[in-house]
Amino acid sequence: MKLAGALFAAVIMALVAVPAAAEYADVVLNKRSEKEGVRPVVFPHWFHRIRFQCRVCHHELGFKMRVGANDVTMNEISEGKFCGACHNGDIAWGADRCDLCHSGKPGLPTGIFGGHETGGPGRW
Amino acid sequence: MRFRSLIAFTFAAALPAASALADVSGKDIYAKTCSVCHATGIASAPRYGHAGDWSPRLAGGSARLYANALKGTAKGMPPKGGNPAYSDAEIKAAVDHMLAAVKDAAKPATPPKPAAKDAEPKAAAPVAAAPAATPAPAAAPVATVATADALPAGDVNAFNRLLKPVGRRNPPPPEDGIHDPGNDGTHALLPPLTAYAGLPKSFAGNRVNWVEAIGTKKINPRWDRADPAAEPVVMDLNIVREVKGSMPDVVYPHKQHTEWLDCSNCHPAIFIPQKGANAISMASILLGEKCGVCHGKVAFPVSECRLCHSKKKDLARPAQTAAGAAK
Repeated sequence: MKLAGALFAAVIMALVAVPAAAEYADVVLNKRSEKEGVRPVVFPHWFHRIRFQCRVCHHELGFKMRVGANDVTMNEISEGKFCGACHNGDIAWGADRCDLCHSGKPGLPTGIFGGHETGGPGRW
Repeated sequence: MRFRSLIAFTFAAALPAASALADVSGKDIYAKTCSVCHATGIASAPRYGHAGDWSPRLAGGSARLYANALKGTAKGMPPKGGNPAYSDAEIKAAVDHMLAAVKDAAKPATPPKPAAKDAEPKAAAPVAAAPAATPAPAAAPVATVATADALPAGDVNAFNRLLKPVGRRNPPPPEDGIHDPGNDGTHALLPPLTAYAGLPKSFAGNRVNWVEAIGTKKINPRWDRADPAAEPVVMDLNIVREVKGSMPDVVYPHKQHTEWLDCSNCHPAIFIPQKGANAISMASILLGEKCGVCHGKVAFPVSECRLCHSKKKDLARPAQTAAGAAK
């Protein structure tokens, strides 16, 4: 019983603690990262919206406005697609600075954090 | 599922079979009648499963509780829960059912009465599993205990992502819970508060009023990826959506949206550009559809009702003028 109770408390803690204090609209991309042996990517909307309007990425670069809908590979980035349109060492840091983008905690699921959506059974 | 069977096990272990069988009618009466007040604590009724609510009342002994349930109290408990059709024994069974729940919460591992020895445990299991099938009352005590452990004391709104306490707003990347502090790059990233200095504030989201920031030129995000001088194509057209009830109507401003977005971001996939063609509800927004594609995730969340519902209806006016004319 005690063990089961502890397990349940741990599950509750995990549900409550994971999104913790993430900045509103931080996106974690982990479709491929950890399978390929690197940390998940954290994309901060706030940083980018100060510099670019939504339309630049969501229209010009073709990022779909749905978490998990975008298949982005390092090859495409090197070819100048998606993130690579700016992250080319010219407008922003290039693809050689792995640790600046691949900076997420290992094990994080792909998703948008800091908003009103819950990760628990009450998920809308 | 796993959780429910866990509760079922707790009950099976904790309840003596004999009292569990007697509990069936008590449970039914509780579900039908008592729970109206005792589930949520209406009129300060002691709540089902909340040991703290019951302990001062139990100090007078269970005989006192039976008497109060049968005859009623001045505080608001009606005699026999307001239904004189119940027999005394049935009301007592209902009281026993509620008391059993708080005894379980206090010491889940030990059976309350040693009389359980001669009862066959197999019979107890299906009966005891029944309360677990209705999760609300049975789950309540366990869940509150577990979350109370998980959350820091005094942080009563911690469950609500939209009510972040001051200390947890806009933390630097190494402390935000999603960046890995063990990664060198994390420490090289810009902390949000550094970037927000001088930007107009809001009460939700990043706690930055982005619309005002771009309107007052505090920030000047590029409209075109490569051309910093490119001017956005802004469309100034308000769409008023009438809503049900007394809630103010929604005024949708194209202006503030086209300052950030391209027409094709919303039309036609999310919103059909035709009057009356879009059914929008708060439920769909909370589910991440329609306005909820951005609002609640990256644009201000639904807690800021009046930013959208901003056009007051003149509902009261006809009544007032009628009253004025009568005078």
